[in-house]
Amino acid sequence: MEEKIIEQEKPKTPKEEIAEYKPFVFKGDGKEFFRIWIVNIALTILTLGIYSAWAKVRTNRYFYANTYLNESNFEYNAKPQRILVGRVIVVGLYGLFLLFFQYLGMYDVAIGIFVIALLAMPWLVRQAISFKLRNTSYRNIPFRYAGKTSSFYYLFLVNGLLPLIIIMAISAFIPIPFLSLILFFIFFGYVYIKFKELTITNSYYGNARFRFLGVKEEVYGIYFKIMGWMILFMAGISTFIGLLALLVSIIGGESSEVLTQFASQPDANIENVPDTFWATITPILTLLVYLPIIFLQKGLSDGYFSNFVRNNTLLQNAKLKGDINPLKLAWISATNVMALIFSLGLLYPWTKVRYIKYKLEHTYFKCSDYDQFKSLGYEEGSTIGEETLDFFDIDIGL
Amino acid sequence: MFINALLYDGKSSKEHQVIIEFTQNRHIKIDSHGINVALEEVEIESRLGNIPRVFEFPNGVRCKSEENDKIDQILQSLGIESSKTHKIESSWRLTVGAVFLTALFVWFSLTTGANYTANIIASMLPDDTLKDIGKSTLEKLDEEYLFPTKLSEENRSIIQAHFDRLTENEDIHYQLHFRSSQKIGPNAFALPSGDIVLTDELVKLSKDKEFRDILGVLAHEKGHIVKKHTLRIAIKTGISGAILGYLTGDISILVTAIPTVIINSSYSRDFEREADEYAVSELKRLNISTKYIAQLFEELAKENKLDENSTVISLISSHPMTKDRIKYFKSKDEKKY
Repeated sequence: MEEKIIEQEKPKTPKEEIAEYKPFVFKGDGKEFFRIWIVNIALTILTLGIYSAWAKVRTNRYFYANTYLNESNFEYNAKPQRILVGRVIVVGLYGLFLLFFQYLGMYDVAIGIFVIALLAMPWLVRQAISFKLRNTSYRNIPFRYAGKTSSFYYLFLVNGLLPLIIIMAISAFIPIPFLSLILFFIFFGYVYIKFKELTITNSYYGNARFRFLGVKEEVYGIYFKIMGWMILFMAGISTFIGLLALLVSIIGGESSEVLTQFASQPDANIENVPDTFWATITPILTLLVYLPIIFLQKGLSDGYFSNFVRNNTLLQNAKLKGDINPLKLAWISATNVMALIFSLGLLYPWTKVRYIKYKLEHTYFKCSDYDQFKSLGYEEGSTIGEETLDFFDIDIGL
Repeated sequence: MFINALLYDGKSSKEHQVIIEFTQNRHIKIDSHGINVALEEVEIESRLGNIPRVFEFPNGVRCKSEENDKIDQILQSLGIESSKTHKIESSWRLTVGAVFLTALFVWFSLTTGANYTANIIASMLPDDTLKDIGKSTLEKLDEEYLFPTKLSEENRSIIQAHFDRLTENEDIHYQLHFRSSQKIGPNAFALPSGDIVLTDELVKLSKDKEFRDILGVLAHEKGHIVKKHTLRIAIKTGISGAILGYLTGDISILVTAIPTVIINSSYSRDFEREADEYAVSELKRLNISTKYIAQLFEELAKENKLDENSTVISLISSHPMTKDRIKYFKSKDEKKY
């Protein structure tokens, strides 16, 4: 309420008065995406993987174009041919590495390839960020990235590697319990903020620059919240399992024994490999317990961090806002995983739409004038960074 | 032919409501913006679901229209084929076909495909790598499950002599390790490096003073090594993981867990059978009857029946598989007493 009054007091730009937070809207639906998804997979199989580049573009086009803000939608502009080239190079290099490392035993060559890839990492990350932004547009104006490659090397070496070495040195010489843990904790928050600053403050929508105002103290707060919730979840789940085991042992002795036995089974190739009903079912049961826990945590941190980034990001004077409920997102994330398991993966499109829809519809943007932005034109560039991170499943969280 | 669209000039973020006209002489006209270009010069995006269709004009102007069906009709009347992929996606039958194709492919890759590839890779892997894997596994097992043997020197030397006979003149360096383990119980297992572990508990079950039954077990374990079973399981897990990982995209944790579950439960039976066959051929080579190992299996089965509620679950108990195996070994006994 206070904010609004202040804004009304400065009548310089009359349009600012009518500025209000508008939510992003997602218009895609699971059924429609299911068809696109399954046809993508089938065609990828039939073309021995070549179609995967087209599949990626179609999937992204579907999600971008169904995302609306102020009744205009986003666009994904990457060219599948270029993605294919990136993919071939990355897969080729990886194949070469495997060839030297595993089959020819020429470790020096393999290590050489590995070191080169490691040295190229900061550059590749920058490339990937740039690729994502310049291939996204809104109202025929592309986003773009202006961060320097040298800044990424600085981030990796000075903000990343150096503190890590110092922490290791400190904890090696000062034997205080949990010291290294606390130092790592401080370090992660610090690096997270540095990375966000580097990516967001160098991002542009046309001629308009993004700004990031987040501070590391808030990140530490988020860590504590996530840890607190996770301790609660684990306590709840283990109580539940404890009760269940108790119940099972009262009803029938044998099965509970298998459950307790499972933990103490050595995983070598033992003579008589258990293949009774219980031996098959116990690992699945274990899976059903530990997967949801992991995905609760994933949803929870995604919720907190997405809100944090949105609430601290500005586009010139326009503001982003997030009011995602982290607990709700954790619930969506965990139930999605269960749905995937029980549908043997067939519900994947539905789970993806469900997750993204919830996140987007709790993201807002406040802008006084949607017509004010100027374009600096589209550009093309390398897809290698994007495809490397994609291939190795590295999430840089954009 | 007219459609409603939104126009963005590519210079600013301003949005304009426009009407696009498709003329009879294959031109696209937007009168309000003085645009009149040949159809071929405009890049019309292929249809995808129901997302707004983008028209890219040569001067950087883009238009978007939600009238997908109408656009398809117009393009068809102008002789332009609509997207084949969209045709597949909107056909009910072809989508179901895609589901079946994918399911079939996944099934094939996880079974025959993974099997075949794993065999190739296993045969290519250098022995040094295997040695390392074996050494570290044995160390880990020694820490948790295995304890020094309590067998008499005499018994051990008999078994060791059998083992040496079994493994002489082989490329791989085989080594026998005696261990006692209450936790694992009567058992034996092989590591890909050529190390075979035998528990005291199994030796105690032997009814043959010369331990020819134990020799049978050792031959079975050697079979696991010769056929590279452990390795094949590991590689198969990896391959299946990669396939599922690609298909499922961002849920990589599922990917590492599921194949292990599937593989451990289904592939193992075939491997046991293969190792049994190998054991029979080895026993034949050494001129030893298969009845001893059959007897040992009977003892194992009895043992498990007796203490079904004990903490030791070798899980062979009255299992049909064990029965089949006993029958199999007996049938291979040529002397027939």
